[in-house]
Amino acid sequence: MPELPELNPVIHGKLRLALLSLLVGVEEAEFTWLRTKTGSTDGNLGAQLQKLEEAGYVTVEKRFVQRKPQTLYRMTEAGRTALSEYVQALKELLGGAIGA
Amino acid sequence: MAENFERQELNDRLSLIESMIAEGRRTTESWGWTFVLWGVAYYIAIAWATVGHSYWAWPVTMIAACVATVVVSAVKSRNRPRTKMRHAIGSIWAAAGISMFLLFMSLGISGRLDQHIMMAAVGAMLGTANAASSMILKWKMQFACALVWWALTVFACFGKGNALTIAFLAALFFCQIVFGIYAMICDARRRRMQGGIQGAANA
Repeated sequence: MPELPELNPVIHGKLRLALLSLLVGVEEAEFTWLRTKTGSTDGNLGAQLQKLEEAGYVTVEKRFVQRKPQTLYRMTEAGRTALSEYVQALKELLGGAIGA
Repeated sequence: MAENFERQELNDRLSLIESMIAEGRRTTESWGWTFVLWGVAYYIAIAWATVGHSYWAWPVTMIAACVATVVVSAVKSRNRPRTKMRHAIGSIWAAAGISMFLLFMSLGISGRLDQHIMMAAVGAMLGTANAASSMILKWKMQFACALVWWALTVFACFGKGNALTIAFLAALFFCQIVFGIYAMICDARRRRMQGGIQGAANA
C-alpha cells in the first residue's frame, strides 16, 4: 500500500494557505490588499505572515511612499515549491486514500 | 462520517486555493472606465474639430484624456498588487498610445494628415492593442472589438465621405463606449461576488 503524503503544517492553516495562493498570482502585494482580500484582522494577518516569513515562504519589504509607510510581500521560490507540493499532496489524498 | 468530513475539509482547501489564485489575477479587468473615457474624448475632439474648426481640438482633447487616465489610474491602483499581466497589458496600451500620438502629431504638423490615413491608422493600432490584450486575458468580447477596428482599417482604405465617418463613429461607440460599460458591469459583478470569497480564509 503506498504511503499517504503528509500535508505541510505551515501551509495547511486556512489564512496562510489563502495568503500564499494570493501571492502566487502577483509579483508583490501590499499588506492592506492582502487584508482586504482575506477579510482578516491586522493582528491575525501580521502573525500569519510572520510565520510564512520565518518559514522562508515570503519576503517582506518596508518602505515609505509619499511619507506613508507601505509593507510589501513577495513569495519566494521556496514558497512556490511548498505550495505546489501541498497542492500535489492534497490531490493525492483526495484521489484515493481517503475514500478507499 | 469522519472520512467524509476530512474529504470535505480537503476539498474546501482546494477551492480556497483556486478562488484566491483567481482573485489575485483578476486585477487587470477593471479598466472599463478608460475605454469610456477615451471614447468620449474622441467624440469631443471630433465635435470640436468639426463645429469649431480648431486645429487645437485633437491635441488638447487627447492630452487632457491622457492626463485624466494617468491621474485616475494612479489613484485607483493604490493598494493594488503589481501583476505581470497588468504590466504586460499596460505596456501594450502605453506603446500604442505613444505611437498614435507621435504619428498623428507629426502628420498634422506636416500637413499630410487626411481622413483615410487617420482612420486606417487608428483602426490598425486599436485593433492591435485590443487583440493583444484579449489574447492575454482570453477575453472573446475584446477580440470582437479588435475585429471591428481591423474592419474599419480596411474600409478606411476603400470607403469614401460620410460612410467612412459614420463607420468610424459607430466603431467608437461599440468598441469604446459599449465595451467599456460592459467591462465596468463585469467588474462590479465580480466585486459583488468577491464578498462571498472574503472571509472564507478565516472560516
